[in-house]
Amino acid sequence: MAKFSKWLCSQLRLIGATARKEFIIFTRYPANAVLSLIEPLMWLTPLYFMGKAFSVGGHAVGFEGFTGTSDYFSFVMVGAFMSSYIAVAFWGMAYSIEEDMILGVLEPNWVTPANRVSILLGRSIMFALLTTVQSLGVLLIGALLFNVKVSGDIFVALLIIVPMLIAIFGLGLGLAGIVLAIRRAQTAIDMSNWVFSQISGMQFPVTVLPKPLMAVALTLPATYGYDAVRSVLLGTNPLLPMKQEIMILVTSAIVMCIVGRAVFYTFDRRCRRLGTIGGH
Amino acid sequence: MSTVNSIEVENLRRVFTRRTPRKLPWQRNRQVNGNELCVTGSDKSGNQPKTTVAVDGISFEIQSGEIFGLLGPNGAGKTTTIKMLCTLLEPTSGTARVGGYDIVREPAKVRGSMGTVFSGERSLYWKLTGRENLEYFAALYDVEPSTTASKIDSLLSKMDLESKSNEPVERYSTGMRQRLAVARALLADPPVVLLDEPTAGLDPQSARNLRDTVRSLRDEGHTILLTTHYMAEADELCNRIAIIDHGRIIALDTPAALKAGLQEMHSLEVEVDRAPDGVLDELRSLPLVRGVESHASNNGLETWTIRVLTEDSRQTLDALLDLLRASGDRVLNMKANEPTLEDVFIALTGKSLRD
Ligand SMILES: Nc1ncnc2c1ncn2[C@@H]1O[C@H](COP(=O)(O)OP(=O)(O)OP(=O)(O)O)[C@@H](O)[C@H]1O
Ligand SMILES: [Mg+2]
Repeated sequence: MAKFSKWLCSQLRLIGATARKEFIIFTRYPANAVLSLIEPLMWLTPLYFMGKAFSVGGHAVGFEGFTGTSDYFSFVMVGAFMSSYIAVAFWGMAYSIEEDMILGVLEPNWVTPANRVSILLGRSIMFALLTTVQSLGVLLIGALLFNVKVSGDIFVALLIIVPMLIAIFGLGLGLAGIVLAIRRAQTAIDMSNWVFSQISGMQFPVTVLPKPLMAVALTLPATYGYDAVRSVLLGTNPLLPMKQEIMILVTSAIVMCIVGRAVFYTFDRRCRRLGTIGGH
Repeated sequence: MSTVNSIEVENLRRVFTRRTPRKLPWQRNRQVNGNELCVTGSDKSGNQPKTTVAVDGISFEIQSGEIFGLLGPNGAGKTTTIKMLCTLLEPTSGTARVGGYDIVREPAKVRGSMGTVFSGERSLYWKLTGRENLEYFAALYDVEPSTTASKIDSLLSKMDLESKSNEPVERYSTGMRQRLAVARALLADPPVVLLDEPTAGLDPQSARNLRDTVRSLRDEGHTILLTTHYMAEADELCNRIAIIDHGRIIALDTPAALKAGLQEMHSLEVEVDRAPDGVLDELRSLPLVRGVESHASNNGLETWTIRVLTEDSRQTLDALLDLLRASGDRVLNMKANEPTLEDVFIALTGKSLRD
């Protein structure tokens, strides 16, 4: 027991140190830091006008038929928040491995006795925090400029987001392992991140998709994450009863972590066997 | 045995397999009738995996408190050996133990008992300050939190980095980065320190300082394995040296003993006015000559130096001059020297470390 708590303490310290390092580096590029915080506004704004163009008297009538809400912009904005957390897995975890390889700092990290999963966890926590700041900023501006009204229970929404974040962390671990193997992954990350976010319904209800694509969407846990959070915050009609969606999210969080960890260590080991760890 | 081995390497071997880029179908067809396709391990057929034996069955033991040098030319397998010992690379076969832990079965324990200094200066976070780098890695090495700050202070002052400790590493000189990398390797006070070409790229003064640091680490009780391709460095610094070439250890002893093996030999240095490529093989075939190498003289005059290791300079000299004149080389200068470690290498391989 004492041994476990000592282990836990050192893991927490490791996670904290990694998050801190990531934050310091983030602030060392001030222009990028500022821009990355306001970037979401840039691509959200056109969607606001698009939604407006399709509405009749402030109501997107066709859209309302699919979702139960006529407020397209709020729908998209909640989708955008959720996707920025998904991007943490793709960019914050997977791509940062590629970046470390290019910089030459992966090897010095890997020769320490530190738990590699904890290092990646520290990183993803920092990215998730930065994403949260970003999202809150956008939400504030959205409320001021675009008349976004969040009516539901934010606390319940957070309860849904937590298992989703854990699932995303599992996904990120697996992706990080794959990047260890294929090394130059920027384009693959960009594409898969985009496809993954789109199919799970970042910008539209998945019910508009043709049957085969919708079947794909329904196998992705993120679909239920988007759906559940929107249902809570915006009062849209959920795909499945809420309880079931939450069950799916919790189960997938557990499965993704186990699978992600296994994938990561498999590729890590493979890398050591092939001798590709130092390259890029 | 009373002495303890900090590193034990037994028959370690590492083969790299690399697929050569696939040839397009029409390029492939051209060779179908040739015999080349049957040669395994050749790259002629385009699709056979090409294998490189980087480390070819090396064995050695390093005692605690020793500075042990791996000396060899480019591509000899030094870095590959280091990478296997620091668990970044799995051996193809053979075993090694660091601090008593097996590098394949107990990698985490191996990592906990050593510090590694990589060659090159990219291994630090350039956007972080020296202190921030050490703070981050202290957590990774699980340095006791209550002593971390004082540990970092003492390492910074030991490596003479105090005044720059709060500046980002991108503003450091190469020598300072190398010292910071050494400080990082010492964070956990590891029994074993591995250094891959620690003085590569440093100016002579910084290199000398770094060698002093390595010696002081040994005096503090660390066991040190370093690689180098500088003869003089290995000679000056190491308690024992393994000379490695093409992945094999071709000699292993103290610098003095390695040189003593050549006590009977003479080393002749001849400066000529142009690259003496044609004549080297003829020189090698002279009686009593044990090795020949040549290199640019490095004196700014575009002359070349030929180094001839012979069992008796009195008998070789005349034939040597004849050969050079016959080939049209002008002899500008000549010296007879005591054999150095460089000559040991020439005697063993017939070529120079510089190649
Ligand atoms: N990842 C790799 N894939 C394929 N071949 C490799 C790899 N790493 C090293 N090699 C090959 O293995 C051999 C030994 O390389 P190594 O880097 O160990 O040499 P070295 O003694 O450190 O040389 P240097 O003095 O240039 O640093 C070389 O022929 C090299 O091309
Ligand atoms: Mg090397």
